[in-house]
Amino acid sequence: MIPGKYRSVSGRAANNVNCGLHLVIQTSSLPEKSKVEFKLNKETPSFSGRLLQHDLERNYSSRQGDGRVISPSPRNKSSCISSTTNVTELCGLEMKTTMSSLSAFGDSSIQTPSKSRIRQGCHSAGPNVSGDHINLASSSMPSFPILQRSSEEKILYSDRLTLERQKLTVCPIIDGEEHLRLLNFQHNFITRIQNISNLQRLIFLDLYDNQIEEISGLSTLRSLRVLLLGKNRIKKISNLENLKSLDVLDLHGNQITKIENVNHLCDLRVLNLARNLLSHVDNLNGLDSLTELNLRHNQITFVRDVDNLPCLQRLFLSFNNISTFESVCCLADSSSLSDITFDGNPIAQESWYKHTILQNMMQLRQLDMKRVTEKKRLTINNVARKWDLQQHRIPNIAPNQDRKVSDSPQDPSQLHGSTISAFPEETGSLDSGLTSALQGLSVTDTHLVEVDGDTLSLYGSGALESLDRNWSVQTAGMVTTVSFTFIEFDEIVQVLPKLKIKFPNSLHLKFKETNLVMLQQFNALAQLRRVDQLTIDPQGNPVVNFTLWKYYVLFRLSHFSMQKINGTEVTQNDMIMAERLFGILAHVASSELPQYRLISILGDARKKQFRYLLETKGKKPGLVNEENSDSKRLVGENTNRATLNYTTRDFYNERLEEIKEKKKFCKMYMEDLVKEATEINMKNEALQKLWPQMFIELVRDAVIEIRNKSSYMKLCLQQITDQK
Amino acid sequence: MLSPERLALPDYEYLAQRHVLTYMEDAVCQLLENKEDISQYGIARFFTEYFNSVCQGTHILFREFSFIQATPHNRASFLRAFWRCFRTVGKNGDLLTMREYHCLLQLLCPDFPLELTQKAARIVLMDDAMDCLMSFSDFLFAFQIQFYYSEFLESVAAIYQDLLAGKNPNTVIVPTSSSGQHRQRPALGEASTLEGVEASLFYQCLENLCDRHKYSCPPPALVKEVLSNVQRLTFYGFLVALSKHHGINQALGALPDKGDLMHDPAMDEELERL
Repeated sequence: MIPGKYRSVSGRAANNVNCGLHLVIQTSSLPEKSKVEFKLNKETPSFSGRLLQHDLERNYSSRQGDGRVISPSPRNKSSCISSTTNVTELCGLEMKTTMSSLSAFGDSSIQTPSKSRIRQGCHSAGPNVSGDHINLASSSMPSFPILQRSSEEKILYSDRLTLERQKLTVCPIIDGEEHLRLLNFQHNFITRIQNISNLQRLIFLDLYDNQIEEISGLSTLRSLRVLLLGKNRIKKISNLENLKSLDVLDLHGNQITKIENVNHLCDLRVLNLARNLLSHVDNLNGLDSLTELNLRHNQITFVRDVDNLPCLQRLFLSFNNISTFESVCCLADSSSLSDITFDGNPIAQESWYKHTILQNMMQLRQLDMKRVTEKKRLTINNVARKWDLQQHRIPNIAPNQDRKVSDSPQDPSQLHGSTISAFPEETGSLDSGLTSALQGLSVTDTHLVEVDGDTLSLYGSGALESLDRNWSVQTAGMVTTVSFTFIEFDEIVQVLPKLKIKFPNSLHLKFKETNLVMLQQFNALAQLRRVDQLTIDPQGNPVVNFTLWKYYVLFRLSHFSMQKINGTEVTQNDMIMAERLFGILAHVASSELPQYRLISILGDARKKQFRYLLETKGKKPGLVNEENSDSKRLVGENTNRATLNYTTRDFYNERLEEIKEKKKFCKMYMEDLVKEATEINMKNEALQKLWPQMFIELVRDAVIEIRNKSSYMKLCLQQITDQK
Repeated sequence: MLSPERLALPDYEYLAQRHVLTYMEDAVCQLLENKEDISQYGIARFFTEYFNSVCQGTHILFREFSFIQATPHNRASFLRAFWRCFRTVGKNGDLLTMREYHCLLQLLCPDFPLELTQKAARIVLMDDAMDCLMSFSDFLFAFQIQFYYSEFLESVAAIYQDLLAGKNPNTVIVPTSSSGQHRQRPALGEASTLEGVEASLFYQCLENLCDRHKYSCPPPALVKEVLSNVQRLTFYGFLVALSKHHGINQALGALPDKGDLMHDPAMDEELERL
């Protein structure tokens, strides 16, 4: 029974108010960038009235089962009465009052069945809402009309009662309706809230557009969730002590001068104090659930205490009197704020306004709502300009001119949070709180990071750093498309491992203006886990001009079984053609490379992976094992292509530089070996030449020695004795 | 093998001529780079594999350009590898631009310089309309000439320019070509009205070049053949003629004849298996 947000989307009553009734109106499809604030100022027609009508109509048509199509017209000033019951049924409604009191209250609200004060319904097709057959009968209580409904009515609509535009000047006594949950007194002349103390189950009380001067008579309504007191004459916020479950408090269009007595409303989510007489904002502590605070059209000069609101996301300060940033400096300390409006304040006229606000409130997603897309466009233009300069497409303009250029798009880029920032209703509030807090990232004008539901868009090389941040599991898990623009492909290659880990579900990659020039660069994409679709925009990617690029991609990334390239489906024929064209390359690359080269090439790639993992090992040790099995699988899948790697030019040159030293050493070593070998060879040759001569001499010497046998024998004996 | 000339060469010259040292140095360098991996299965085996791959011509795969360019054998192996890997592209009939061919080259050699490819393309396109599409065979043969004989071609270009300008680089008076000197003066006038240079004069210069040149040159006899067919020829005309000459292709020994370019039954079998 948690009341959801209020959304007024172009009139469609998309209200999640679940008052425990079977009246949950289904929300319209989530509006992408439409106003998401709850406006209850006078511009929109009676919101709740429409709400009830729509809702009741639905119920009505569903119950009656007749084909009458009722569509609530959005801005129909002639708002229909909520009750859509038939004329005949309305006869059940009776209202009694005394004749005497009538005169006291001026214009009586006596109705006769025949008269129909109420304007016609929205469509003639719909049931005509004719007069409320309210019979005013006298009662024992002086001056209070008593309201009674027929038992049929009571059964049919036991929990809601609408008394809109009944020209009531007092709250009637409502008899026998203790189950009432919804009570609507819009557009009357009631001056005091009375006679509703018995309605202790009341959840929704609408007193919009009356003449109430003081909040009172609500002390028994402990279940009250929605209290609409807009457009009254209330001067002071008071007597709300017991309304601890209050979720929405609307006090716009009153005469309130001070925020007080709201500190106990810890479930309050929406507080509307627009069009009052507030001169400052403080005393907001205790509003622990407040997400939206509307303070438009007041006289506020300074704002305090906003940083004590842990859930505050939207703060509307349009048309006040804020003139310096110091007066709103507490906003900088709020980590949850995501939307702010300052238009119509003197501060918004200052030249430094946007810059300062955005620089100090990094977590902002929207500033002055309307201009968000313009800002994004300007940022992207800036990034594009920088890219073109980098690519030497635009001649570098003169320095002072350059400064002007960089000054004019002074709107720094913002980080847009997920536009489907699902409110922490279902999911843990911790998670979403984290998302909104951490989505305030670097605000510079050189890059832009945007998460839009399932697409992560990165513009400019600085954006790649954002991959380092702690993305919430929910946001990261939803991202299926990653788009890179104005970033060098070589730089993207280096963050691909991070992308693999942080955004595991990314299946579609888009590249625009990323300087893809070689087929080889596609080899780098093979390290990802899975890619279903690839879009390479021709702009800024010359590789698309090649005839064979698609086939090469299909060939190299065949283990992904890609489905689409640049929007066109991949057919079986395409795959066959790719294999035919490049199959031999794969064969050569795998089987003809000597073993040691295979190992070194494959080892290189894996070494890089492990190195990265070791760096992040501290945070996610479990992943190392995953990587092991992952790479094992890789090897099994496409060994014959695995040797086709891509190293960025810088790394390649670095490696060649490293090898130079080794080469020099090898050269010297070989030279030494060669010198040795040639020396030995020379000696060998010399020996060959000299040997015959030497041999002859040896023989001759021996023969000469042995010529005289007897003297030779004597000589030998002599030699032997000498030796001893 | 034991021919007298071989034995007559001094050691260093012999080694240099056969580029033995290049390979030895490279082998040792590779050993150093990958010592952790290689130490696992033995150095002897490494050397076996290395020199086997040198013989087979697969040692140049995915190596840096400086290595590929180092020896004629490397260049020839690279040409052959390029042919084998991308023959299917040619078979498919696709006409590609110079840049795309360069891309394919880079798949095999990451730092292959663009200017070589550009020069090869110029031969095919006769220095005209560089963005034109070229067929695989045209490009391959032109590329062969350009890559294998790149130094030679540079010298030839210089000679050609000199001849065009009227200077005869042959300062040595060759007795059989007194006409060479005689031609010097009117050559100026002739060169400006007629395209290119005179074939025979050109040939004489080239012959001298081949004798002096330490880099590889096409066999002079074949060059003579090319030049004997025409009276005058331009530089690119000469190169085109070179690239299309069967004899020179065979002398190189890297690529099959043009007619057989698309045939490689062994590889086709492999392809079927994939």
